[in-house]
Amino acid sequence: MASEIKTGPQLRPSVLRRLLRGAQLELRMLLLLLLLAVALSLISPYFFTLSNILNLMDQSVITGIVAIGQTFVILIAGIDLSVGSLTGATGIILGLSLAELPLPIAILAAIVAGGLAGFVNGFIITKGRVAAFIVTLGMMSVGRSMAYVLSGANSISQLPDSLGDLASSTILGVPTNFAVLVVLYGVAWYYLTFTKGGRTIYAIGSNAEAARTAGLRVDFYSVLVYVISGALSAVAAVFLAARILSIDPIAATGLELDTIAAVVIGGASLFGGRGTIIGTFIGVVIMVLIRNGLNLLNVNPYWQGTAIGSIIVAAVLLERFLSAREGMHRGQGEEG
Amino acid sequence: MSLETNFAVPGEPALAIDARGIWKAFERTQALSGASFALRAGEIHALVGANGAGKSTFSRIVSGHLSADRGEIFMFGRPTRFGSAREAIQGGVTMVMQETSLAPDLSVLENIYLPELGAAGRLSWRNLTSRAESLLDQFGQRAHLPLRRPVRELSAGQLQMVEILKALALDAKVIIFDEPTASFSPNEVDRLFDIMRLLAQGGKALVFVSHRLEEIFEITDRITVFREGRTVASAAPAAEMRPAELVRLMVGREIADIYARGVDGRGEKSTGKPVIEVEHLACAPRVKDVSFTVNSGEILGLAGLIGAGRSECVEALFGLRRIERGTVRLSGSPFTARAPIEAVRAGIGFIPEDRRRQGLVQDFTVRENLLLAHLGQRRSLGLGYDERSASVARLLEELGLPQRILDEGILTLSGGMQQKVVLARWILMSPKLLILDEPTRGVDIATRSTIYAMIRRLARQGMAVLLVSSDFEEVIGLSDRIVVMSDGSDVTSIPSALVDVEKLAMFAAPRSSAEATRSILEMLVQRFGGIAYWISMDGDRLYCFDSVAVQNAPEIGFARGSFPEIVDVSIPRALRQRPDRFLLEPAGATLLVPLRGHRGHDLGYVGLTLANDNALPDAAAVRASILDGPTTPATSVAARRH
Repeated sequence: MASEIKTGPQLRPSVLRRLLRGAQLELRMLLLLLLLAVALSLISPYFFTLSNILNLMDQSVITGIVAIGQTFVILIAGIDLSVGSLTGATGIILGLSLAELPLPIAILAAIVAGGLAGFVNGFIITKGRVAAFIVTLGMMSVGRSMAYVLSGANSISQLPDSLGDLASSTILGVPTNFAVLVVLYGVAWYYLTFTKGGRTIYAIGSNAEAARTAGLRVDFYSVLVYVISGALSAVAAVFLAARILSIDPIAATGLELDTIAAVVIGGASLFGGRGTIIGTFIGVVIMVLIRNGLNLLNVNPYWQGTAIGSIIVAAVLLERFLSAREGMHRGQGEEG
Repeated sequence: MSLETNFAVPGEPALAIDARGIWKAFERTQALSGASFALRAGEIHALVGANGAGKSTFSRIVSGHLSADRGEIFMFGRPTRFGSAREAIQGGVTMVMQETSLAPDLSVLENIYLPELGAAGRLSWRNLTSRAESLLDQFGQRAHLPLRRPVRELSAGQLQMVEILKALALDAKVIIFDEPTASFSPNEVDRLFDIMRLLAQGGKALVFVSHRLEEIFEITDRITVFREGRTVASAAPAAEMRPAELVRLMVGREIADIYARGVDGRGEKSTGKPVIEVEHLACAPRVKDVSFTVNSGEILGLAGLIGAGRSECVEALFGLRRIERGTVRLSGSPFTARAPIEAVRAGIGFIPEDRRRQGLVQDFTVRENLLLAHLGQRRSLGLGYDERSASVARLLEELGLPQRILDEGILTLSGGMQQKVVLARWILMSPKLLILDEPTRGVDIATRSTIYAMIRRLARQGMAVLLVSSDFEEVIGLSDRIVVMSDGSDVTSIPSALVDVEKLAMFAAPRSSAEATRSILEMLVQRFGGIAYWISMDGDRLYCFDSVAVQNAPEIGFARGSFPEIVDVSIPRALRQRPDRFLLEPAGATLLVPLRGHRGHDLGYVGLTLANDNALPDAAAVRASILDGPTTPATSVAARRH
């Protein structure tokens, strides 16, 4: 209410307090993550071993990379269901190209193919005004089908060792693939926080109409997020192929759901405009920890789906609950 | 009924609503601090206050949408506490909201009886229809509200009507109108007021929450003023309150005329070169043919009713709609914006009509909302917020906003402050042309005067300002010149000094509501030939709202949209004398018949001028044919009998 705000000399709210308030959700999720880690290390002596930690890092890479693109898409209130099948299809493209082309060119080819598929998604969604759910559902089917067609429904193995280095080598003791993941998150964080494009993406998700009216390039960035998501699916395919030096047309099935779950657990709103890349990272690690924990605890694999599904729904419930409380708080500003 | 029912003073009927010492806080904000309110049955009671005064919160408490922290509410003498809006409705209290809560795909009828659709058993549509029709008849609205039509196809006024009927269908005893006229055309306002009077006469208790002073004084019996959550004037008779007094009560201090022009009064200002020239602009479906020019340093008002195509017209200029025909020149060179960004880079700023939908990014802070246009026009990758920090600070100061709100969420601000932020967003870009679409809708009077002062100063500094507003007082008070639009075309361009609210309303009348006069004019020329016109006269000046002529009709020196001085037209004697027979002048023979609206107000004259070589018809016959009116049933205009 207006009456509450008075002019005059005021102390600036401390920077720390502001940061904390802005990052409340991430902090809560980080706390959850730490609790999980502590609980798992108490339950299983194996949890805090080097090999398991390396294993955790390795398992974060694929979901983690794709979840960056999914975050961009969800921030504009979209959704990308095609990431899993695009990872499969671009993996096959990578495998086939490696037979003819040097590694960097083959990787580039896969990334361009992924970006193109993402462009098709984004273009139809933005210019054709078709629901993202429908368009990416279609692309999900097309992508998987292309993976089978291109590979003749066979897996491609005996990929060159130079590709395998991406998974097995280390940089300063950190596995290369995990290091790449961290760098990608750093870049994405910087982009979303400190650039025109990043803020435009948030503005689109929060109120596309107002963003357009203020002169922001809504259509361009609405397509761009899908291009990024498609291209990152191909990057994930590279690391997936590097891990076992083989790629299967069925690879990465269900990855779209894992990434959506990670983004949502990380605090993003499926209605757009709210969420952070750091939250997504925490979401990815929580997903990996839960799977790892369930394995360490020898939980029947058939039950793992139930556990993970329940956790996703619980996270969204929490988000609804919190934003409802926030909504009441916001209600004050509305005056009639 | 309990014993408590009759503890009111004998001989005096219990108050419909008697709220005492109502407190309500939202987290850190105290919205109501012991407010009180007393409402009688059969009265229309204004609840007035600046933004943030707590009137909405109070209305929502009385209507069960919120619950009070402390305080008592008596309804007809009985202590009442509604747990939900549903309980309040069952208890006879309904709030008619600004934004309606209707189901858009259901018909009018289904919406009126929505609460009954949940009842057990089979619905009798025939029964519901006849009940709805008798309700409509009671208020003479049957012609205006088709029961079978889906609600999504209705106008703002019709939506409100459905809300009211919904309340009546539930036998509401207390009806709270929360700024009902915000999106109404003057005709719709009239119609709503007629209904409100009928309701009050029927013993209902009405609360009228509004910002618009002239409406408050027109319709309400008593006035209660809230300021900062307290009641500062309780149930004061409206007839005894002066507008200036009311404003002082609302804002807590004296405010000079909010349209005050300061030293450089209207008309003395010289305006510069044309900034934007619009010729024969058309864009479907609303804008058909619009031409106007805005010069630098000039405030041009684009007046008209909702649906006249004003917003669509300015949205087309700004690249939010595609232009189909016509040319636009910006600073002399051809210009078309395919997207807002092109308009922004060309130097146009745009404050949209719907602040929530088109203006604010709700999840952003004040700072980011303020810098949104800056971000949009920026060509490099980074944010560049720091480059603007000095001008941001200066601008906040000018608009009377504290610096520390920059990092607050935009939704923590009141509506008026939000609007200041949207205004500041564009001032920061120093555009050549600033387009303001309904800049003060839902904004309190204190904020409005700041906004007006700001707009006027920008114009003084050479900015061209294009103001779209449904508030005719605002258009006249703020603009230098006014272009009136009706049905997608510009009707006239007139200096604001030469026009008042009544004449503006008549110029702006859309074909649908001016149908009656239009068809009288058509009937006249069809039957008698010559030229027929609808005019009004004010001192030495004549205003022509509409005219219809046959080929080679006499040249009378004015037509639709013109406002010449009477000495300059060809039939000055007839216009001065207005005899009840044809008066012969060199230009032709003229007869004028005065018109009255259905509430008795002056609607000017219908005139007929025939060439002198014609055999003149009988004046009485002409008058009679005007009196009988055209064959349209919707006639609300009747000629005054002498």
